[in-house]
Parts: sequence; C-alpha cells; structure tokens
Amino acid sequence: MPGIDECLLQAMVVPGARGASIVDWTSGLAIGSIGDSPGGDPEANAAETAELARMAAEYTSFTTRTADGGDGELGKGLPVEDLIVTAHNGYHIIRFVETDFDSSVFLHLWLDRDTGNLALARLRIADLAERLVL
Amino acid sequence: MASAVSPMLVRLTEEKATGVLVRDHGALYLVDGEVVHAESPAAPGLDVLLTASGRLPREGWEEAVAEAGVRREVGRHLVASGRLGCGELEICHLGALFDAAYFALTPCSGPTRFRYGVGHWIGRVRPVPTPVVEREALRRGALLDSIWPHPEIDAAPVVPRDPGPGRGPTRRQATVLALADGVRTPPDIARMLGRPAFNTLLDVRRLAAAGLVDTAVRPSGPPPERPALPAWVPEVSDDPDIALLRRLRDALEATL
Repeated sequence: MPGIDECLLQAMVVPGARGASIVDWTSGLAIGSIGDSPGGDPEANAAETAELARMAAEYTSFTTRTADGGDGELGKGLPVEDLIVTAHNGYHIIRFVETDFDSSVFLHLWLDRDTGNLALARLRIADLAERLVL
Repeated sequence: MASAVSPMLVRLTEEKATGVLVRDHGALYLVDGEVVHAESPAAPGLDVLLTASGRLPREGWEEAVAEAGVRREVGRHLVASGRLGCGELEICHLGALFDAAYFALTPCSGPTRFRYGVGHWIGRVRPVPTPVVEREALRRGALLDSIWPHPEIDAAPVVPRDPGPGRGPTRRQATVLALADGVRTPPDIARMLGRPAFNTLLDVRRLAAAGLVDTAVRPSGPPPERPALPAWVPEVSDDPDIALLRRLRDALEATL
C-alpha cells in the first residue's frame, strides 16, 4: 500500500515518463506531482487536465450504460477508465482512480513520444492507480 | 499575491511556527510553518468523508480516535491498524485540508488569532507548504466566480428548477440536485454525500449557470414590477432558447 509519493516515484520509472501527477478533477487541485510538467506549472496543468477529465467522466456520451445490457463486468465501477491524448508534446495518459469513498481523482502520466511505449505505460499506470488506494 | 489572504500567515510561515490559526470561518493547523490540517464548519471533516460512503464504519473511526487521539496520531493509526490504505488516507485528508482551508482563508472582518503549540489529534499526514494552500484558496475563489459570479448561492437553501431544453445535469450534479429540497444548503448536501464542500459549490454554481438550480428564498422586498413586453417579442422566434433566457434574466436580476 504505497502513498502518494511512492506512487508518483513508481510512475516515473515507466519508460519515457517525463512527469506525473495526481489530480482531483472536480476542483482541479494538484494533490501531488513529480518530474516536469508541460508548460512548467504543475498547478495550472492540473486545472487544465481536470477540465478534460471532468468532461469525460461526467457527460452522458461516455457514461451511459449500453441499452442492450452489455455492461457485464465493465458495468461495475467508474464509467470511464482512462483517457489518452496524443499530442506533439508527448503522450498523456489520464487514469481514473477508483476509491471506496466519494472522490474524483486521476493519475496523469506525461510520456515522451520517442522513448515512451503507450501500450506498456497504459498497463503500468492502471496497475499503479489500483495500488494507490489499496 | 500570497499576502492578500492573510499577512499573519506569511509571518508564521517565515518563523516556522507551530500552532493553530483561528479565523472567522475555520482554522489552520501549522507544524514548522507548514499546513498539516484545516477545519471549517462549512467543510465536512475526514470522518464524514470516510463514513458517509461506508468506507469506514463510524465505530471504526471512533475507536481510532479513542486509541490514538491522545498521542495525536489518528491518521497514522488508521493506516497502521489496517483500516485504511496510506494512499486513501492521504488523498482523503488532502481533499479535506484544502477544502476547509478555502473556507478558513475567506476574507473576513473578525480577528485572526494564533495559538502557539496547539496540535491536532489527526497528526501529521502530508504537510503542505503554506504558500501552496494560499494560492489554491485564491484559485478556488476565482474559479467559482468564473462559473457563476453570485456567491450568495453558496450558503443558501437550493431547489431544482424545471430544466428547459438543453443539456441536463451531469452524473455528479444529478446527485446534488436530488438532495436540493429548498431547505438544505450546498454545504449540507456535501455532508450528506460525503464530498468536499467546495466540490459541491462548484456543482451548484455550474447548475445555476445552466439554469437548473435556484435559491429557495428570494431576496426580501416587494417583487420588482415587470414592464410589459413589447409586442414584437413573440414574433422573434417560435422556439425561444428558454435556458438561455432564464440565465439572462437571472444575471440581470442579480446585477439590479
């Protein structure tokens, strides 16, 4: 059961990681951050990524269950698992963290496009998000 | 900018003070000039955030306070006894800290006092540098005002209003709306949901901006006389954007 700092340190071990943060997407609060951040201001960065995450986590286009009942295992838990933004400045993986209390938190990993491996990083960050709240 | 919040806090940070700063709307606990805890009557405490969801039974919380409260190590004890994960505690506690700090640092007219040496029984979880807390409090105020610049709704009983055509509430907003009964204020609703109060204020202001929520009590005084509409108004459109018109009307009323 790692804490926030341990989780961020482990995120930086992911190949190609440039920076990582834990953010509350309702308030835009940067709960913790490590490494670089695009633009160099982790707090501004948190507020901006929080906006994007909120849209995905809240709007019905992404959150309504399918009408045919095909929600099986995926029907449990958070409606959205992660967001991936492929940008000129790198890959961004935003992974929602599921907690047993009411919260709105995600892990944001910023990856270098040349040295990062998106598929691998996505799996690692999913694992970290799960262990963060064990 | 930091001094805009509390000059006293700047001085206490410089001298690496330990104790509690008490203001009108809440208190900040400092250890060596860093914020370790915050409390406000408007913000649900860590106990509410953890027990409202059923994450921790109320007895479990009380046991932890009884066992470790005197040593001022309740936070550490919750983790050491296996009741809570370290990450869970830190996320939940930081959420509560910044939430209460926002209210505690609201500009106020009353006295600000500092009592040296006073600690909090939750203990040291994850201290935050004081300038970070102040910056965040300012950012939060500006964020609320950018959404819907009428702070009176933050402490007023709220009621849902009929949604016009347009987008309805989002997932989390709907849970806030379901508890808006014309008696409860946004902080009351936050407490019932076990969510930080500031997050609920954001939802309520967004709902207000979308014309989906209203204050239950109208400002007192005789209702303003509404001038008759010019005859051409109904001819403008067969399908007026009701949500937009409502927002316009609310904004106009608020500025008059």
